[in-house]
Amino acid sequence: MTALLSVRDLTVKFGALTAVSNVSFDLERGGALGIVGESGSGKSVTCRALVRLLPDTARISGSVRFDGQSILDASESELDGLRGKHIAMVFQSPASHLDPLMRVGDQVAESLRKHTDLSGTKIRQEVLRLLELVRIPNPENWLHAYPHQLSGGMKQRVMIAGALACQADILLADEPTTALDATVQKRILDLLNELRRDHGLSIIFVSHDLGAVSAVCDDLIVMRRSELVEAGPVADVIGNPQHDYTRMLIASHPDRQAITTARRGTSGTPLIEARNLHVRFGNRTLSDLFTGGDSRFTAVRDGNLVVRPGEALGIVGESGSGKSTIARALVGLVQPVAGKIGFDGNAAQITGARRVGYLRDVQLIYQHPYEALNPRMTIYNAIAEPLRRHRLCAPSDVPDQVADLMAQVDLWPELASKIPGQLSGGQCQRVAIARALAMNPRVLIADEITSALDVTLQAQILDLLLRLQKERGLTMIFISHDLAVIRKLCHSVIVMRRGEIVETGPTEQVFDTPETDYTRDLIAAIPHLPEAVPMRSR
Amino acid sequence: MSTLKYICWRLLMALPVLLGVSVVTFVLMAATPGDPIRLLAGARADADMIALVRERYGLDEPILKQYFIYLKNLVQGDLGNSLRYRQPVADLIARHYPVTLFLVIYTVVLTLPPVVFLSVLSARKPNGVADQVIRVIGVLGLAVPVFWLALLFARFFGAQLGWFPVSGYGETFSEHMWHLFLPALSTMIWVVPILVRNLRAALLDEMNRDYVQAGLSKGLGRKQVFRTHVFPNSVLPTLNLFAVIVAYLLGGSVIVETVYAVPGMGNLMVDSILARDYFVVQGATLVFALTTMLVMLAVDLLSTVIDPRITA
Amino acid sequence: MFLCGLTLVVLWGIVALAAPLLATSDPIAINFEAILAPPSSEHWFGTDNVGRDIYSRVIYGTRLALYIGLLGVISPMVIGMTIGLLAGYFGGWVEMLAMRLLDITVPFPFFVLVLAIVAVLGPGIENYFIALAMVGWVGYARLARAEAIVLRSQEFVLAARTMGFSHGYILLRHVLPNALSPVVVYMMTDVTLVILFGAALGFLGMGVAPPTPEWGIMIAEGQIYVSTAWWISFFPGLAMILLGIGFALIGDGLARMLRIER
Repeated sequence: MTALLSVRDLTVKFGALTAVSNVSFDLERGGALGIVGESGSGKSVTCRALVRLLPDTARISGSVRFDGQSILDASESELDGLRGKHIAMVFQSPASHLDPLMRVGDQVAESLRKHTDLSGTKIRQEVLRLLELVRIPNPENWLHAYPHQLSGGMKQRVMIAGALACQADILLADEPTTALDATVQKRILDLLNELRRDHGLSIIFVSHDLGAVSAVCDDLIVMRRSELVEAGPVADVIGNPQHDYTRMLIASHPDRQAITTARRGTSGTPLIEARNLHVRFGNRTLSDLFTGGDSRFTAVRDGNLVVRPGEALGIVGESGSGKSTIARALVGLVQPVAGKIGFDGNAAQITGARRVGYLRDVQLIYQHPYEALNPRMTIYNAIAEPLRRHRLCAPSDVPDQVADLMAQVDLWPELASKIPGQLSGGQCQRVAIARALAMNPRVLIADEITSALDVTLQAQILDLLLRLQKERGLTMIFISHDLAVIRKLCHSVIVMRRGEIVETGPTEQVFDTPETDYTRDLIAAIPHLPEAVPMRSR
Repeated sequence: MSTLKYICWRLLMALPVLLGVSVVTFVLMAATPGDPIRLLAGARADADMIALVRERYGLDEPILKQYFIYLKNLVQGDLGNSLRYRQPVADLIARHYPVTLFLVIYTVVLTLPPVVFLSVLSARKPNGVADQVIRVIGVLGLAVPVFWLALLFARFFGAQLGWFPVSGYGETFSEHMWHLFLPALSTMIWVVPILVRNLRAALLDEMNRDYVQAGLSKGLGRKQVFRTHVFPNSVLPTLNLFAVIVAYLLGGSVIVETVYAVPGMGNLMVDSILARDYFVVQGATLVFALTTMLVMLAVDLLSTVIDPRITA
Repeated sequence: MFLCGLTLVVLWGIVALAAPLLATSDPIAINFEAILAPPSSEHWFGTDNVGRDIYSRVIYGTRLALYIGLLGVISPMVIGMTIGLLAGYFGGWVEMLAMRLLDITVPFPFFVLVLAIVAVLGPGIENYFIALAMVGWVGYARLARAEAIVLRSQEFVLAARTMGFSHGYILLRHVLPNALSPVVVYMMTDVTLVILFGAALGFLGMGVAPPTPEWGIMIAEGQIYVSTAWWISFFPGLAMILLGIGFALIGDGLARMLRIER
């Protein structure tokens, strides 16, 4: 049997830059192939090149054959006949891939109108069927809705419904779950599996997440720096990786990561604690009065947390659960409307003249490495700024201090004169850590600091933090949507949902014997690597 | 929030702005240096006139009370009397306003087709030949003084070729069209580049949006994606600019009407300033502001109809 | 394109500085022997109705145009940036106040309000500058506010807060430098507009007093002779275009370099 999609020596160049180099693979009818790699590895470009959905500047060579037909030689109108009808595509961030001004039903119907002769009520029926197929409850209610009225997971379902409208043979899924919460991701992955099983859909699944890919695919391709480094059945590749890079990728996965914190006893007086924290955003506005609405929004309700010296606390939850808001309240970025924050046995001086003293002890590290640094400030100035502004050392000592801090976070001294745009994401995150360390804090709050990074970098940054924790005896609060990371790093954990703490306790207890359904869902949604095939003896 | 509620809310919000605008025009007069009565009544005013002004505007009263008298008169449609024409300002404005309104609408009608055509042409192929040419024309259009261009048009198309009249407004609708063609054209040349620049940017913005990729991946083809997705989304930001443009056009009318002796609001305003006919200046300024406000309101409401996200 | 614009503006700057060297005669000297003379080798751009040399008047007019354009944008920019940055950064009632102020200024067509203010204060450049300061800040405030709103929730600004720095320091060191690019681009267009409106005031007889060589006044003076002596109005207008193009090109080039369209 010949392959449904056959790719040979696919090469994509943008000017002098080679984005994809000599990639070959086959996809059987009904098969599912995963393409894994880090950002910039060329996995997305490969996927888009399959339907020539690339800017005009791209030069594509090699061959892509779908059912015997050469895609690279097809005319623009032949391609349009193929796209959506035979080869469909879903993308990352469903929010931006739906037209905000067009009703959901019409967007699903678009390809039906283009590729089929259906009209009027037939189209309506078909759209309803499709929405039902992707498990949208009460599809009639959503037919006339606009995208902004849907949740993230629903938008992704609508996008899948629109892609599959003409019963395409192949679905190209480009990071389809990356922007979604873990529980939503799990449901989308289940849906893809179901479509494959029940409708014979062939899938190409592009992702940076080995766990997500292995939940759907049979075969796997690993890409790195525009080249294919390894290919084979998922179990083989993960169980017995041949290439060093694949090994590193697998080792960086939280499942396999060999990092653990020192499980010290957690006694002593709490270093930082919050009692009955209540955070509300917005004010009642005049328009509320007029319409009877309430534009206030409660972000955190009755938040409690206690961290003892040297301990690491994890706060987990999905987007909008209020976990970052708690962190921001702890450093005074948002003012709680009620509740108390205590530090070292006293009430914390979060506002007013003595806040600098408090902030020297409690520092927050942010999520986005590039955004957390002033784009116009050199690395040296970024790290030196707190030292100079707060006179943390004699002016003549600043250069030595900065050099020392950079060394602590493994940054080369030459980087001091660069600006953030010239650094990699991982390096920027190290600068942010060094800047926080300049204050010599006792508590470090890490707000999703690894979620914007590739997995291998993620592992390195976590290693660094653990080392610093041991060296400096830091007390840490980790905020993450990634339960696997939290499980490895933290002594105790808080689970949040819609602004409320639903569960709290020592890490093992929460993970092994969760008390609430929500926590169980969260844990079940962690994408795991399949069990390794026992290593062959060398 | 439902659309209807939003519209009511938006109308309600216009009231304080209206009050604010009246404060500005009031302050405009109150801040006049020198003896306000002398200035208001004019140097040649007799004792009767001075007494009339004093009584009507309560100029001996505290400033706040003066404002409320002004506001009360305003609500009753009393904008004061012209010192030069010796008739109510409201009557003067009623006579001049339709002319300017006609000119502005005329200019808008002339402006829209080239704007849409040039922006689409420009955005189709960014940095292509057409785009570069349009860009240079845009820079040129921005730098051309309208009154100078109007003058040259009047000389060339009016005096030399005799195609169009160079002054007046005419009696009938078609005469209006004929008389106001050159004034409208002069203003248009200034406004088109600004709008093209914005619509082009909006189109390019939208063409780079992710939903364009999604549309292409469904096999819709570039043309259909452009028509059904890119263009509707680009209209919104341009629509907001439209209100700003109307303000520009009203401002521009002051200059163009002077050159072509069109008996509109702009002409009235300039004449009144030169004649120190303060109540007319005040009234005209107020009417200009009210017109812009109305257009802005209309644009806002239109956006609500187009964009479902606004009332959310 | 950007370099073309820069060159053009620099050239005009040289013309303004070296006006006495470049001019062929006294710009306000009346010469009844050469009334309404067409362009010739003696009077390159011709003469006006009282025999003044148009070329020399255009050259000297550069001084006033640049003076108006460059000085006229400063106070609107400073006022607008301050209001916009404070409103965007702090939000809350500061923003509320600034927005209401904006709301009641925006409905007035720019030129109409400038005219009205000049009408009240009397003609002259100083009063034009005052009017600009009162009206022209709106555009800057809007841009600066939009930038500040984005910047205030950027993590590097939050990080500066959690480093314990003061609001004033953060505004100056972190917010202002990163909000500047679109404002500078807008300023270039604004210079062109300020020059044009300044000339329009002169044209309407509300700018500087004659016989000062000012392009707007020169165009107005040529208005009644436009059929017989076109050169009186033509050359000052041409000069204005060439100066305006210079600034417009700089703005356009900057916008593309900094990737700010609109």
